[in-house]
Amino acid sequence: MEDEYPVLLDTFLIDSEERLLVLRQAEQAADAQSLRLAAHSFKGSCSNMGAPMLAGLCKQLEEAGRREQLEQAPELVEQIEREFAIVRILLKSERQRYRH
Amino acid sequence: MAERLSILIAEDNAADRMLLSTIVSRQGHRVLTASNGLEAVALFEQERPQLVLMDALMPIMDGFEAARRIKQVAGEELVPIIFLTSLTEGEALVRCLEAGGDDFLAKPYNRVILEAKIKAMDRLRRLQDTVLQQRDLIAMHNEHLLTEQRVAKAVFDKVTHSGCLDAPNIRYLQSPYAVFNGDLLLAAFKPSGGMHVLLGDFTGHGLPAAIGAMPLAEVFYGMTAKGYSLAEVLREINAKLKRILPVGVFCCATVLNISFQRQVVEVWNGGLPDGYLLRGSGERLPLVSRHLPLGVLEPAAFNDKYEVYPLALGDRVFLLSDGVLETCNKLGELFGEERLLEVIAANRHLPALFTEIQQALTHFSGEQQDDVSLLEVSLVDDAELSRPPLAFADNGQSHSLDWSASFEFRGETLRHFNPLPFLLQLLLEVQGLRPQGGALFSVLAELYSNALEHGVLGLDSALKANAEGFAEYYRQRSVRLAALTDGFVRFHLQLLPEGAGGRLIVRVEDSGSGFDPQQVPVEPRDAHSLSGRGLALVRQLSERCSWGDGEPGVRVEFSWLPGA
Amino acid sequence: MAITSLPSSDGQELTILIQGRFDFGAHQEFRNAYERVNSTPQRYVVDLKDTTYLDSSALGMLLLLRDHAGGDSAQIRLLNCNPDVRKILAISNFEQLFKIA
Repeated sequence: MEDEYPVLLDTFLIDSEERLLVLRQAEQAADAQSLRLAAHSFKGSCSNMGAPMLAGLCKQLEEAGRREQLEQAPELVEQIEREFAIVRILLKSERQRYRH
Repeated sequence: MAERLSILIAEDNAADRMLLSTIVSRQGHRVLTASNGLEAVALFEQERPQLVLMDALMPIMDGFEAARRIKQVAGEELVPIIFLTSLTEGEALVRCLEAGGDDFLAKPYNRVILEAKIKAMDRLRRLQDTVLQQRDLIAMHNEHLLTEQRVAKAVFDKVTHSGCLDAPNIRYLQSPYAVFNGDLLLAAFKPSGGMHVLLGDFTGHGLPAAIGAMPLAEVFYGMTAKGYSLAEVLREINAKLKRILPVGVFCCATVLNISFQRQVVEVWNGGLPDGYLLRGSGERLPLVSRHLPLGVLEPAAFNDKYEVYPLALGDRVFLLSDGVLETCNKLGELFGEERLLEVIAANRHLPALFTEIQQALTHFSGEQQDDVSLLEVSLVDDAELSRPPLAFADNGQSHSLDWSASFEFRGETLRHFNPLPFLLQLLLEVQGLRPQGGALFSVLAELYSNALEHGVLGLDSALKANAEGFAEYYRQRSVRLAALTDGFVRFHLQLLPEGAGGRLIVRVEDSGSGFDPQQVPVEPRDAHSLSGRGLALVRQLSERCSWGDGEPGVRVEFSWLPGA
Repeated sequence: MAITSLPSSDGQELTILIQGRFDFGAHQEFRNAYERVNSTPQRYVVDLKDTTYLDSSALGMLLLLRDHAGGDSAQIRLLNCNPDVRKILAISNFEQLFKIA
């Protein structure tokens, strides 16, 4: 998927930033249901994009949302943000290779 | 590469949606995308894709609800839905299936597995498609077949019911399905006023079984109307069926010849279960199958020997197809002969028996019978039967009526040939005689059997005074007839114009010792005697009847007025 | 329903054994039983000892066998008829065409 690859990277990065925003809002509002759904969706695309660490953190957050045990949520969201910052740097440099 | 499919991808996550549509379109399919369930349903209705990849958790409308709606819109067509999910809990997977999902695809996506799943689902989809097409085809064929059967049944009914099954002395039950199981019910008046009745059951099922009924009915009605005897009708039916039906297809049948005037019934049973002659006195005589079915034997080997029983008013003959005895109950038991005999034995009022048998069958099987033929014929007073006028196929032109002719039928011919249909056809060329055709036939038949039985064969009608003697009389008749080499019966016919009308004079003589009115007493010696109705009948039906006067034999006259 | 045919050692006689229901469903199998044999038997035996039911289609099939075996010159014996089967054969007067034992 040579042609679509840079577009896919862009899409993932933009989409992920939106999702992080949703995650943060849900965590602050202590909305377990929204937290669970956002984490679940983010988990899926992370696994597809080859970011297993990030997918693993999302899964933990989804579980917490499902059990409505939100005490760990701030910590997990922060971990996800940190991990995503790393993934973003990696993907951006990957993206550079396709800029002609 | 598999057939190009149109595939709908419903996924709220833009990156996943893009990843998936890239994989799928690279596999050669057309891709439609939706970012939530509501969009997916709308797109499905609009584009009717053949396969759906559906994310389970989506905003606005989730995948479960969207799957349910899509399945509903798709109806009978199989639109496979593959759920895209990273759900791992068993419960969630169950929900996917319950919503109508056909398979799962877990994240992260694997191109090879996705392709294999799409192919597998496409096979399933096409299989369902084929099944539906075949089902529709079968339904169409079935509808077609039913229409054909309705038409065939209408034609069949017209042919087979052209007789007198609606006569007041006949009751019958024939389930519609039985017709296409090869069951056949026929009844027709003879020119003499008697009645031929046939209950038949062809081998096999369906149209092939029913088809033989048409030629059989044609022979039965044609020959009966022309005055042929029971034996002659049977011979012709057997010969015709043998000629046209394939080996292995035949017709079990019981045939009755009832004479209301002479109060006797002749019975021939080839292959049907016992019928019964039930008398008002409570007596029950089985009418046993003594012959191979019709259409089995070559004409030369066919046996037309029938049994003769005297009848009294109110006596009834019951005939039944094997469908009656083979009526099944819920345990798979057959109704059988024993139960039938119990019903007959329990009967206290003969006219109610037909209904009692019907009820017993329904009670036994718990439902309406679909393969049953049951027939009851009773002996009623002759006057209760109204008979249709004889039908003629010619154009109704007048024929000459100033002629005379004499016929002599001798030994060998008397054994094998019944001259009555021949004579009747000749005489009914005379239009003025047609309204009296029935009476004419009855008179000729009486005079002929009198000449043959007493004159030529020398039988004594005094024998017929009781039931045993009656049977003995007919036994002797067939023995003597079979051995007959000499003797004759002569018919002298004379037609004279009379005014604008005319007159027929018939004289019948035989080789016997001369006409003996003692053998046919003017008045029956005893109203219940089984003989002696003959001459009374001749006198009643003809205009004039005389014997002696220097002429051999009996002389009868019929006359008619113009326009008659 | 199962139909087996067994030629005698000298090939003069063919025994056809019918198990279960002998009705229209047996049509093809019954024909195969006498048409697909290598020998040309002079006599036929239809063994009905394991036959539970026989209907009028079966009577038709027996007539087909009789035709195959030479019509009026056919030598066919129907063996081991149970009372129900015997009754059906009797009603149709098949003893005039077959030896029934």
